[in-house]
This record gives sequence, C-alpha cells and structure tokens, in this order.
Amino acid sequence: MTLNLSVLTPNRIVWDSEVEEIVLSTNSGQIGILPNHAPIATAVDIGILRIRLNDQWLTMALMGGFARIGNNEITVLVNDAEKGSDINPQEAQQTLEIAEANVKKAEGRRQKIEANLALRRARTRVEASNPIS
Amino acid sequence: MAMAALRREGRRFATPLISPNPANVFRSSLIPSEEPVLSGVRCISTQVVRNRMKSVKNIQKITKAMKMVAASKLRAIQTRAENSRGLWQPFTALLGDTPSIDVKKNVIVTISADKGLCGGINSTSVKISRAMHKLNSGPDKENKYVILGEKAKAQLVRDSKKDIELVMTELQKNPLNYTQVSVMADDILKNVEFDALRIVYNKFQSVVSFLPTVSTVLSPEVVEREAESGGKLGDLDLYEIEGAETKAEVLQNLTEFQFSCMMYNAVLENATSEQGARMSAMDSSSRNAGDMLDRLTLTYNRTRQASITTELIEIISGASALEG
Repeated sequence: MTLNLSVLTPNRIVWDSEVEEIVLSTNSGQIGILPNHAPIATAVDIGILRIRLNDQWLTMALMGGFARIGNNEITVLVNDAEKGSDINPQEAQQTLEIAEANVKKAEGRRQKIEANLALRRARTRVEASNPIS
Repeated sequence: MAMAALRREGRRFATPLISPNPANVFRSSLIPSEEPVLSGVRCISTQVVRNRMKSVKNIQKITKAMKMVAASKLRAIQTRAENSRGLWQPFTALLGDTPSIDVKKNVIVTISADKGLCGGINSTSVKISRAMHKLNSGPDKENKYVILGEKAKAQLVRDSKKDIELVMTELQKNPLNYTQVSVMADDILKNVEFDALRIVYNKFQSVVSFLPTVSTVLSPEVVEREAESGGKLGDLDLYEIEGAETKAEVLQNLTEFQFSCMMYNAVLENATSEQGARMSAMDSSSRNAGDMLDRLTLTYNRTRQASITTELIEIISGASALEG
C-alpha cells in the first residue's frame, strides 16, 4: 500500500508524490503517519515535517496550516513551506539571531506575540536546514 | 491699404458662417446659393473627415497599447491563478461545496475590478450577486454585501446601499499576494457576522471565456451542525478531528484558513479574467477602429477625387468655351 503526500502553499506545490512515512507536527504534538491510517483532519503547527522516502529522512519547514489524511492521501495546506535542502543554513542561523534579538526588544502584547512567532519560524527553519537532527 | 480693408471686410463677412446665432445661420445658408463658395464648403467637409480620421487613428493606437499591456499582465497573473487552484480543492473534498445550503445570515462577497474597459465581467459579478440576494431572501433572513473593487461598488450602491456592509477597493495597487489577501479575509471575518459566505467571482477558463462562479464558505457552527445531523457534510464525521482542545476550535481555524484560501483563489481568478476580458475588448475595439478608418479613408478619397474631377471639367469646359 502506498501513501501519497501533497504539500500545498498558496503560491506553489512544494511536494506531490509517494512517500513511505511522515511525521507531522500538529498543535497537540507530533504524529507519525503510515499507510492505511485512519481519516484525520488536524491543524498543523509551525514545525518540521519529516518524510521517509527510500529509507532516507527528508525534512521540510512548515509555517502553520491544516492537514487532511484519509484514504492513503495526505494533503497538507500551509501558509508557507520550504524544503530543508533549499534552506541556506547560515542565512537561517542569522535570521534566528535577529529574531532572538527582536524578542528581547519587543514591547507590548501584540509585538511580543509577533516576535515569538517569528522566533518559532526562524527556529523551525534552522532545524529543517540541519540534516543530522 | 485698400486690400487690407477688403480682407477685413471679408473676414467680417465670413464670421456669420461659424456663428451659432440662428438668425445669422439663416443668412449664411442663403449666401452659398447666391455666390460661388461651393469650393469652400467642399474643403470644410474634407477637413472634418481628415480630423475624424486622425482621432480614430489615435484611438486605435491607445486601444492597441492597452491590449498589449493587458496581454503582458495576463501572462504574469495566469500562472499564479493556476497555481492557486490546488489550494481550494482539498477544502472542497473535506467540507464539500454547498451552494444550496439554507441559512439565516448570508453574506455575499462580490469581487470585481477597479477599472472598466474590460467587457462584461464586472456587470456579470454584480448580476450574479443580485440573483444570490434574491434567491436567499426570505422573511427571517438577512442578506449583506461585502464588495471588493470599485466597479461593483458603483453599481450596487445605487439600489442596495443599505445592505452593503463593507467595501474594499484598490486591491490591485500592489501585486496580489497571499499575505495581503489573508489580511483582507481576516478583516472581513472580524467585521461581518455570517452563517454562510458566498464569494462571487469570474473564473478564468480561457482568454475569451469566463465562468461566473459562486464559492460557499460556511461558518464553523453551521459546519458542525450539518456534520452532526449527517446532512450535506456527512463525510466530515468520518474524520477524526485533532490538533486542539475542542473540535469547535479546529473548525474555527479551519474556516478562517479556508476562507482566506478561497478568497486568494477568487481574487486571482477574477484578476486574470479582468485582464483577459480587457485584452479581447481592446482587440475588438482596435479592429473596429481599423474598419472605421478604412471607411473614412474611402469616403475621403472619393470626395477628393470627385472634387478634382469637377474642377477639371470646369477648366476644360471653360477653355473649350473660349476656343469655340
């Protein structure tokens, strides 16, 4: 039995092919999905998507959205997605440092929330760009 | 000195010809029959045609340029519209598309262009919105409009001003992107109470055909009710809902995400249709201008030829009269 994964963002299709297994980070923790999974509709957090293909793990940074799993079809709709291999680790690290500095500087509720979100996005990108983790 | 006086006299004599005063016009209309100013009249008529030809030529240049601009914009936006199509299909698979659902608070989101000169796409949107309004009206029902774009606003303000909840214009000042559209969608969700949102837009099929389309987005409460009662959304109950504390919370987020994705697609489709419609409208008007120019050239040449012929006959007959 094969599992089909498609990852869609408003601007493009990031992934659309068969996979063996994925690990998806949802709002209530990570879930692993193998073929013949029960139908699930879930919110997707800002986090990493791990894809097993030919016994190799690939990573992808997801920026929050929604996933539907059913009938061996996984559809992930997200605001933005980037393949780990497409992210420049140095650039991601720099963005993370800037985001960390911004969190310290942020004043007021709204700014703090926004800075924290930016920090989480930056952290996810750094994690996704790191092939060992 | 005498010549100058004569010229001045002549000028004074000529003025009634142009004066709009009816009494003078009456006199001037008598003058040509008495005196041989026919050649002057002929000159004026060719002058008018020449001016007309010039203006038609200019209009043709403008419409051609507009067509080129629309064509290049179309190419850029068409690929983006096609890419955004994948986004709403999963939602339709999960939540279904239920244009016929019967709810109390309907909000019709009419999407139109900010500029005219693009065929009938704006009036199509407005017409469909009015039809939706009529279709969903009832004793205890509420219908509201949310309008995107200058043109639909201008048309709907006239007869249903009291139903308009929100107007947004100048969407396309900056190039359309998802962030901008989702901010706008958030604005709509925050300011408008609804059970069902109906997005009316022109779906782009090809450069010459646009399908007026209605996409329905239901509020989380309606989705839950329908799913539980096993009505039109019975499929949703097969799915386990995960990711947050309660099902309602997930559905709330889901609806918001669905609406912004639908809006993004609708806005892009409509913008693509606008450019396509403008391109074909401008193409046909350049062609019309060409036809008109051909006709005017024919008239102009014929008149010129006729006047030359008449002059030749006058000269020849005068000469032969002298000889004979």
